[in-house]
Amino acid sequence: MRIVSHPLSYVSSATLVLSFWLALCYGASAQQDDSVKVVPILSGTAGFITSIDAGHAELSPVFDPVLLLPFGDRWLVESRAEFTGDFQGNNGRFGGPVEKEIDYLQLDYIANRYVTVTAGRFLTPFGIYNERLYPVWIRNLQTTPLIFPIGTGSSDGAMLRGGFEAHAGLDVNYAAYFSMLSTVNKLGSDRLAGGRFGLFLPGQRLEFGVSVQHLLQENHSNALGFHCEWQPRSAPVDLRAEYAHSALGSGYWAESAYRLSDLPVWNGILRGAQIVARMQQFFTGDTPDDSTAEYGVPDSNAKQAELGLNYFLKDGLKVTSSYGRQFTSQGNANIWTMGIAYRFAVPLGRPQ
Amino acid sequence: MRIKSMIILCFLAAAMTGAVFALPGPSKAKGNNSHPASRADENDLRIEGEQRFRTNCGRCHWAPHKFPPRMMATIIRHMRVRATLTDEDMRIILRYMTE
Repeated sequence: MRIVSHPLSYVSSATLVLSFWLALCYGASAQQDDSVKVVPILSGTAGFITSIDAGHAELSPVFDPVLLLPFGDRWLVESRAEFTGDFQGNNGRFGGPVEKEIDYLQLDYIANRYVTVTAGRFLTPFGIYNERLYPVWIRNLQTTPLIFPIGTGSSDGAMLRGGFEAHAGLDVNYAAYFSMLSTVNKLGSDRLAGGRFGLFLPGQRLEFGVSVQHLLQENHSNALGFHCEWQPRSAPVDLRAEYAHSALGSGYWAESAYRLSDLPVWNGILRGAQIVARMQQFFTGDTPDDSTAEYGVPDSNAKQAELGLNYFLKDGLKVTSSYGRQFTSQGNANIWTMGIAYRFAVPLGRPQ
Repeated sequence: MRIKSMIILCFLAAAMTGAVFALPGPSKAKGNNSHPASRADENDLRIEGEQRFRTNCGRCHWAPHKFPPRMMATIIRHMRVRATLTDEDMRIILRYMTE
């Protein structure tokens, strides 16, 4: 693989260096409340998901430990690893490899109320699913969107990010990053640069944003994404949608989730229930077939509709299920999932 | 080419953000424990805290129960980075969650 120096890489590198310097020089105005001390935490997700995709059964235990090591008033080391088993059935027996990944291992410096500087390995901020919705205890449907591989994954490099109130009732959030090429086992990343910019209206609970990314290797392709999220105050509904376009392909997903907490009947039982519906479409790009397999996107145009039912047994513990139907030019298939997901958090020190 | 220009603009915008907004700003009165507040003020802060908690945390996941104070301080710092919470939201939510 031949890496060509690109003018953009010099611009982005110089900008990052400049911003680091500015952040360090003027980083005197952001401190967490001094009255509350911090403690290291071991948190994360454990889950067990079963799925039947086009008649093929699969058992997927998931364990994603998250380590949070804060120090001082502004520093945080955070890391998440992922251990996932994709156990296929064979004569009634299930087995297979356990995939091990380091999703992120990053050092954060909260320079001021507008800028946080991040260095290390971080989740690539493209759209909202990768950074915010990926953990199995958070996602409403256990199947990831078809466009999820576009622009996401992990990056090794540096990032500037932050969120601030730009105007009364208008928050701005952003992330700008540069990633190096890495072929280190479990720490692989592409050489790329990109950014995400979002506007959030807290009063309306409405957010929309745009993501861009430029690959600085191989075919030097671009990726573009849009996201939108709305939680109307009048009903316990989550509405989310993303669109992404790249050389790998393009597509969208739109999801609505309704919590049954405001139903006047059986409220004690139904308050923990949630109904989910998602529609998505994927259109193949102009990359060779081995690229689609490498990145995990469909190798033909696909359309998929899903319905799900989740039930929270208690905080952080939910039972999840879904049924979906996928339509492709190679044939149609049913996709069933059922599982349980749990979020845990343990202090590694005195919690009070 | 347009995409490249947008990426360059993103980086420049981030640099400008660092340059323009990094100057120390006035501290927010809300969330500051140094001044004793009246009961009405405390109640207002609690309501404000709950609203910001639901508006920000509820965007991605169901509202969790309250953790012990030091755990909450770590979690809110993590979420400030992860979910790009604003400085004011972080302070008010932390105060609400550690009451």
